[in-house]
Amino acid sequence: MSSEDGTPGTSGNPLRRELPEEVAAQAPAGAGEPGPPAAAPEPGGAPGLTGRQRLVKGLWPPRVSRAQLIVALLLFGLGFGLAVQVASTSDDDGALRGARQEDLVRILDELDDRTQRLEEEKQGLEDQRTELENSSDQAEEARKQTVEKERQLGILAGTVAAQGPGITLTVDDGKGTVESDMLLDAVQELRAAGAEAIQVNGVRIVAGTYLTDVGGGVAVDGNKISSPYRFKVIGKPQDLEPALNIPGGVVQTLEKEQATVTVDRVGKIVVDALRPAKQPDYARSSSR
Amino acid sequence: MIAVLGLVVGVVAGLLVRPEVPAVVEPYLPIAVVAALDAVFGGLRAMLDGIFDDKVFVVSFLSNVVVAALIVFLGDKLGVGAQLSTGVVVVLGIRIFSNAAAIRRHVFRA
Repeated sequence: MSSEDGTPGTSGNPLRRELPEEVAAQAPAGAGEPGPPAAAPEPGGAPGLTGRQRLVKGLWPPRVSRAQLIVALLLFGLGFGLAVQVASTSDDDGALRGARQEDLVRILDELDDRTQRLEEEKQGLEDQRTELENSSDQAEEARKQTVEKERQLGILAGTVAAQGPGITLTVDDGKGTVESDMLLDAVQELRAAGAEAIQVNGVRIVAGTYLTDVGGGVAVDGNKISSPYRFKVIGKPQDLEPALNIPGGVVQTLEKEQATVTVDRVGKIVVDALRPAKQPDYARSSSR
Repeated sequence: MIAVLGLVVGVVAGLLVRPEVPAVVEPYLPIAVVAALDAVFGGLRAMLDGIFDDKVFVVSFLSNVVVAALIVFLGDKLGVGAQLSTGVVVVLGIRIFSNAAAIRRHVFRA
């Protein structure tokens, strides 16, 4: 891309020179393709020189003239503007730099819409998360309650160990006169006084416990135990001890049988005799 | 040749300097560049036709740039800036294509 200083055309009159330039820019709009190539204007140019020859002649050898310098200056400005524009458009924010006000407003609107949609989505997801957390909290709570209940019921059923304040009751039957019904009385008395967990000589006493007489001792749920009978009882000591010691009560009855009975209040009793949990054969829970 | 050098130097300078485009000029620069391109193609074609004149080139170059910027400015003021600048680019693009076709005929004879 270069320009000639126009020397070939200088012979023509000025009007002649000026017109074709304007025409040159506009005429092809009409004459774009239809006319044969020969139709391209070849007016007042250098005689015999083709465009290609003129181009080569203009390019080489380089000539310094006023016209060349002016055109160079203009082209410098064009190149400069082109490069600056290209550089500014290819900046990271170039897409917005070149945008017009309306476009910017539209882009902003779209961004706002998008933000709103995303906010809504986020809100929904957060609600969902809260819901899930709540339900898992509830499930956790229910599970905890179930465990707690199982523990409480386990104490009653004798499937878990228990500890707490209570008393020990030792019945030393030197003469072998204590029978199962006396021990049963003692157990009943303790239960009536609010005993919560009882074991005797390593056997847990629960709701279904039965006592029988066997030779030389007593069987608790079929486990033979013998004197001395050591009861470990968890309950309120202030209730349990008087309940045993009331006149005509358990202690007096046993002492009448020549047995030595001691009752001690203890701050911490551990009832650790266990019995296996048994699935009832016939009874089923009627709840739910 | 000098003119080609001028263009190359301009591009290199623009890339190296990377000046911050003033906000006032910013909307008009692209259109002005396209208009200048149109003028350059017109000038090149005139040269190939052997009717090139530097004065005409300078005047058409500057007037192209000014008029293009003016149209965009007016369009912005009227609130149809986007459409008007599109129109200007289309018109200038058509002229560039037709000039390029003429140049092609000269250079390639086809």
